[in-house]
Amino acid sequence: MKNRLKVLRAERDWSQAELAGRLDVSRQAVNAIETGKHDPSLPLAFRIARLFDMRIEEIFDDEL
Amino acid sequence: MTDPNLGSDPGPGEARLRQRQRVQVITMFAAAALAGGIGFLTGYFDQGDGNLLLGDWNKLKLSPALAVLIAALSITVFLIVPIQNMRKADDYQREVSLVAFTGGFFAVTAGFPVWAALYAGGFVPPPHAFGVFAIAYVAMLASFLYARWKI
Repeated sequence: MKNRLKVLRAERDWSQAELAGRLDVSRQAVNAIETGKHDPSLPLAFRIARLFDMRIEEIFDDEL
Repeated sequence: MTDPNLGSDPGPGEARLRQRQRVQVITMFAAAALAGGIGFLTGYFDQGDGNLLLGDWNKLKLSPALAVLIAALSITVFLIVPIQNMRKADDYQREVSLVAFTGGFFAVTAGFPVWAALYAGGFVPPPHAFGVFAIAYVAMLASFLYARWKI
């Protein structure tokens, strides 16, 4: 699934490790989500949306 | 734009993540050391003619106390530690682990009948429990590495 995580992270000048820390997941998890190789679980998708103060569908798009 | 809350001091999430990763690394090294200990104890104190690696493990003979110790260590290494690590795993690590476990499962369900058939044809020695165990573990490791590379 495509997503805007990398762009959102870059806008805040966060490293993958910093974002991983904020989400309480491994850096590898952030990398896998950003590259579209791993789809986050629903709870993690909600955590990501809350962190960026956005709705899930504004970050993740299965039609992109 | 840098978040002023980050700086050089890690936030609570990062600190928790680092702590969890430290524990996972320590746990893995401890499990590897325990597994090595099991191998050493089994090989050094074996009073019979058995060999865990060559298949005649049923000829192993250990003192009852040592047998119980090795059984307890095996439960720790092959059951408690993996369960603890799974409980601490995040989304991504769970997906990688799922691929690894699936690889181990298919290797055994396919590997045993293949081995048995090849034995019946006179190609290989008869199947034995440690061999099947080793197939599962090697397949899990290979599947884990494949998943880390692909995902």
